[in-house]
Amino acid sequence: MSLAQYGFQKLVLLNSAGYSRAELPLDDSVSIVAPNNTGKTSLINALQFLLILDQRNMDFGSHSLEISRRFYFPNNCAYILLEVLLPTGSVVIGCVGKGLSHDYEYFAYSGSLDVGDYRLDDGSLVSQPKLISHLIGRDKLANIYQQTDLRALLYGNRQKQQSGAPDLTIFPLEYISHAATYQRILTRTLRLDRLDTREVKKYLLEIFKNDLNDRGVDFKSEWDKSFADVNRDKAQYDAVFRNKVLIETMELSQQERKALRGKIIHWKPLIEKGLNEWEAYHKKELGELTLVHQQLENDGLVLAERQKEIYKDQATTQHSLKEFQKQEKKCEDLSIQFQFVTDLAQLESQRQQQQDERDELVRLIKNVEARQSPSVIKKDIKKIERELIDLNQQLENLGDNLYLRLQELLPSDSFEVVKRLLARPVLSLSASSLDNELAFKDFVAQIEKSICNNQLILPGLSIDVSALEPNLVIKTANELEEDIKDCQGQQKELHKLLKTAEALSEETQKQKRLEQKIAQLNKDITDFKSLLELRENTQIRQSDIVKLRESLEVLGIEEKKLDESKGLIAESLKQNEEKRGAIEAQHRRINQSRNQRQDHQPQFSYLEQLPCLPYMEVGSLKMTELADQIESYNGDCQKLKQLDDRLKNKLDTLHHDDLSKFQYEESAEKELESLFAFTAQLALEKEAIERKSRSAVVQVAAILRGLRDSLETLKMRMNEFNNKINHRQLSDLKIFRIEPREEESLVGAIKTLISTSEQVDSGNSFDLFDHNTVLDDKALNKAKDILIREGEARGSIKVEHLFRLVFKIAKENQKPAEFENIDSAASNGTVLMAKLITGLAMLNQMQNPKKAVKTLCYLDEAASLDQKNQRNLIKTASEFGFTLIFASPEPQITARYCVPIGTKNGVNYINQFNWQILEPIDE
Amino acid sequence: MIDLSTLSSLDELFKQFNSGTHLNRLKDTELWVELENNQEAYQSIYTALGYTLVLDGRGFAYFKTDQGTSNTGKLTRRLALLLMLLFEFQADRGINLFQFQQWRIDDELITNIWQNYKTILEAEELNDVSAIKDTFDSAIRIGFIENDSGVYALLPAVHRYLDLFEELAQPEIPDETESKEEVL
Repeated sequence: MSLAQYGFQKLVLLNSAGYSRAELPLDDSVSIVAPNNTGKTSLINALQFLLILDQRNMDFGSHSLEISRRFYFPNNCAYILLEVLLPTGSVVIGCVGKGLSHDYEYFAYSGSLDVGDYRLDDGSLVSQPKLISHLIGRDKLANIYQQTDLRALLYGNRQKQQSGAPDLTIFPLEYISHAATYQRILTRTLRLDRLDTREVKKYLLEIFKNDLNDRGVDFKSEWDKSFADVNRDKAQYDAVFRNKVLIETMELSQQERKALRGKIIHWKPLIEKGLNEWEAYHKKELGELTLVHQQLENDGLVLAERQKEIYKDQATTQHSLKEFQKQEKKCEDLSIQFQFVTDLAQLESQRQQQQDERDELVRLIKNVEARQSPSVIKKDIKKIERELIDLNQQLENLGDNLYLRLQELLPSDSFEVVKRLLARPVLSLSASSLDNELAFKDFVAQIEKSICNNQLILPGLSIDVSALEPNLVIKTANELEEDIKDCQGQQKELHKLLKTAEALSEETQKQKRLEQKIAQLNKDITDFKSLLELRENTQIRQSDIVKLRESLEVLGIEEKKLDESKGLIAESLKQNEEKRGAIEAQHRRINQSRNQRQDHQPQFSYLEQLPCLPYMEVGSLKMTELADQIESYNGDCQKLKQLDDRLKNKLDTLHHDDLSKFQYEESAEKELESLFAFTAQLALEKEAIERKSRSAVVQVAAILRGLRDSLETLKMRMNEFNNKINHRQLSDLKIFRIEPREEESLVGAIKTLISTSEQVDSGNSFDLFDHNTVLDDKALNKAKDILIREGEARGSIKVEHLFRLVFKIAKENQKPAEFENIDSAASNGTVLMAKLITGLAMLNQMQNPKKAVKTLCYLDEAASLDQKNQRNLIKTASEFGFTLIFASPEPQITARYCVPIGTKNGVNYINQFNWQILEPIDE
Repeated sequence: MIDLSTLSSLDELFKQFNSGTHLNRLKDTELWVELENNQEAYQSIYTALGYTLVLDGRGFAYFKTDQGTSNTGKLTRRLALLLMLLFEFQADRGINLFQFQQWRIDDELITNIWQNYKTILEAEELNDVSAIKDTFDSAIRIGFIENDSGVYALLPAVHRYLDLFEELAQPEIPDETESKEEVL
């Protein structure tokens, strides 16, 4: 028996799927002939219970599993039986209904399938509970199998093999792991109408999975893993680069800090010593200064005393000198004054003369002063003048005057009245002065009439003239001349008096001047006397002056010297004071600084253990500079603390900026040193990162290479697969290929990464990368982004994501066209055939070529294929290890068996006797 | 029955598709994977709503419509013209058209196209380089083009145009397969 003949032999349905009995040959191609809806497909679907087994993988089209179970297993006498010829002999695999629950169980045994084995003697079917014993009774050592166990056994998993039980490996797969895929394809093969590229792709991937590295690549995590170090280093590098300026200042600070530490370490014991000795030093210095101070003060006092004396002497001498000088001056002045005076007598005579003159003037003045004032005198003079005129008139008219005329013309009493009425000058007027004698006489007569009893009566006025004196008494010429002479004497005296009176103030001035002159002369006389005296002492006086001047000069020099000495003492005192002040100030400063010392704080206690620079300057301590030193020392301590703080803060800033590379060094000092060293070698670090990133790319690329290689393998397998399905021409198709098409972007990205890694690996492009670093490579980054995005969207990147399948189809004289959906690619028959071939090829691909067992393949609506195609199909299926079962209303003469489905009483049946075996005439 | 709760991007996808946008595998990877994983469910829902969702294995998806809005029509017309000229230009330079996704459409290329096809472009009121760029920018919104740092690149959806151009270029060869619908 040839290998090719191993395989399905016969399918039998008893009391199942609407068949009372159905026997179907499976050892060669079959054409099931029946009108539509007669149960052709049900017949084939029955095989699912035996071959698929797992209910989850079964497919009954529009019918649910529950309905299907009821249909196939209406009671516990329903059977689906399959005979298979295996290299170990024939086996029967069966499935029997368990009754009302429409459940079923599996059994199998070695031997051929005899329908009689399932019938009781009365012709009725054996019920499930009695089946095993019944079969054993007929020498068929049947075993009950659990569905899972049976499935395992069918696919060659011998672990479930019971001892003594037959080998049931119907599907000798190359890899047992293909079992599930095989089942799924097998299910499809029973119903191929819905096979599409997606499914083909899925199945092919499963089929080829052993050749492929189908491990999904979580690209992002791979990338992150490979680049974790790089990214960490890069982040640290970037952080350092970003903070380069800061770090450089920190390095300077650290240098400064180390120098300060050295300095503080050097000075600390010196300062301690200095402070211990300071009190004694301070006391001693202060005592010495106080002594000096006292001495200076004493000296100062002595000097002051002496100076006072000098001042006194100076004053006295000065006074005497001035006195002499005054005399000398006086002498000179008097000499000039009395230049023309020869002797004292001259002066005295002058004085006498002046005195006489003065005495005369005094007499005159006194005289005037006894009289009246000039105005009174002038009045007297006028009176005298009038008197004189009157007298002269009287004298002139003595013979014929108005008095006499009136006396003639008037009676005496009237005359008496008129005499009293008219003034004397009127009465003394000359009678010749009358213009009209007659008229005057009339007038007198009228007057006379107006007078009565001493009364002059005028219109409206009456004057009593008795009280009036007579104005004129007629004197003789002698009397008159005597009177005139007397009057003239009086007039002369009055004029002289008037003159003196009028000149009185002038005279008085004159008298004063005279008095002054006399006084002056008196003084002159006195002066002259003293001049004489001075002249007498001139020599003595001048020699005194010289002496006094000399002594003044001596005093002046001494005083100047004293001044200088005083200045010196004051200066010394001031200096002493300053020194005391300085030392006190220093003392205060030292006390203050002593209190402000910071070197007892903890961080100074282990200063020697910290890195420091040795203090190179010669640093010895002078007590005079102790304050400065301690202050400077305190300042250094403070500065060191500040530097500590500053460096700590800056370090914190760096930590905050994610610069943590050296954070876990054993100390901050070490961290700083490492950081500075790192910063100094930044360029080298950059190169190191670049190297690392290159090796990271290489690492990632290695993983991607697996994917790419898998893709290449798959393409190769697909090529083989295509060759397999193109072994025989499919229908009228010149080309029918299922081709993988790469997902350009993804594969491109993978290629970019791989080629970059190759460049990096070869080292040829080192220069290139120096300029265009891996981390900044734009194409690389884009590729990375694409892969990460894809990986994130899909969870991981697998080979299946790198390609899609297209059906490449071309008929004769046509350019090939590509279709994703084969249904639209060609006519129904062609499509059906293409799908069938593809499916069978896939199943074949999974089978172990050395242990081929022929199984079956079902094609509904077989009439849509022409005979040529049917033959082709049968041959191809046979080559793939499948027996083809056509189903159609009409017999297909290309098949070996033609099996009509009969119907009796509404129940279908197929009897072996109805099989028609067709053989080519030429055979 | 389709479990709508498992279709997490139903709304978002619908919005995009309904606005005429093409979903590109490369650009909208997550949505694409979601669509790919639940292709049948999405397709049947959109079909039930009266839309035809086309998922092209070359990496793009869209709603097939018979007629676009007038604006889309204008944009489509201009884009079609520009792409046709671009393909012609590239073909003349011996560049493989099917690798259009790798082209860098920079200012130089755009200027070259403008200078080469000035008359044709002006007929479509594309009067200068910036008008071409405006059209490309609009095409970014509907998923045909992307702009990477100032350089345009064609997305897989441009296959639709390329298919059409190919078809137009070979009208004399009879094709038994269903004639493709006119793009947009």
